[in-house]
Amino acid sequence: MAKTLELEFSTEFGKTARISVDSPKEPIDEEVVKLSMAQIITSDVFTTASGRFVAAKGARVIERNVTDYELT
Amino acid sequence: MAQALLEGTKLRLVFEAGIDDEGKPILKAKTFSNVTKAATADQLSQAAQAIAGLCNDQLNKIERNDSSEIIG
Repeated sequence: MAKTLELEFSTEFGKTARISVDSPKEPIDEEVVKLSMAQIITSDVFTTASGRFVAAKGARVIERNVTDYELT
Repeated sequence: MAQALLEGTKLRLVFEAGIDDEGKPILKAKTFSNVTKAATADQLSQAAQAIAGLCNDQLNKIERNDSSEIIG
């Protein structure tokens, strides 16, 4: 089961940008996620077509199930 | 004289995701685009540490990938 943590940020011009982190630490600690997102915003490293990251909007964990079938 | 024009910057994080059968570390890389060209090493390190803090795997290396267009 592949899990991904998606961080959603608001950008300067009101759009949403996402950063995804593979195999997140579990259980998810909301405080840590909040803090890390704040740190990513202050680091001012990321920019998009709709501007820099200005606020943390949300975070979610996405689970993907893959079932392989042998068709031979 | 040819000139190099910085065209884009990417942040690449290398994670250690366990150890393989031969005892060598399994390295997994994740690349983040949308990085400002003006980002300093300090800023990149801060963002990388924040992202790594959310991940289960241990951060092995932080890389900055610049691509430049050569004119001349």
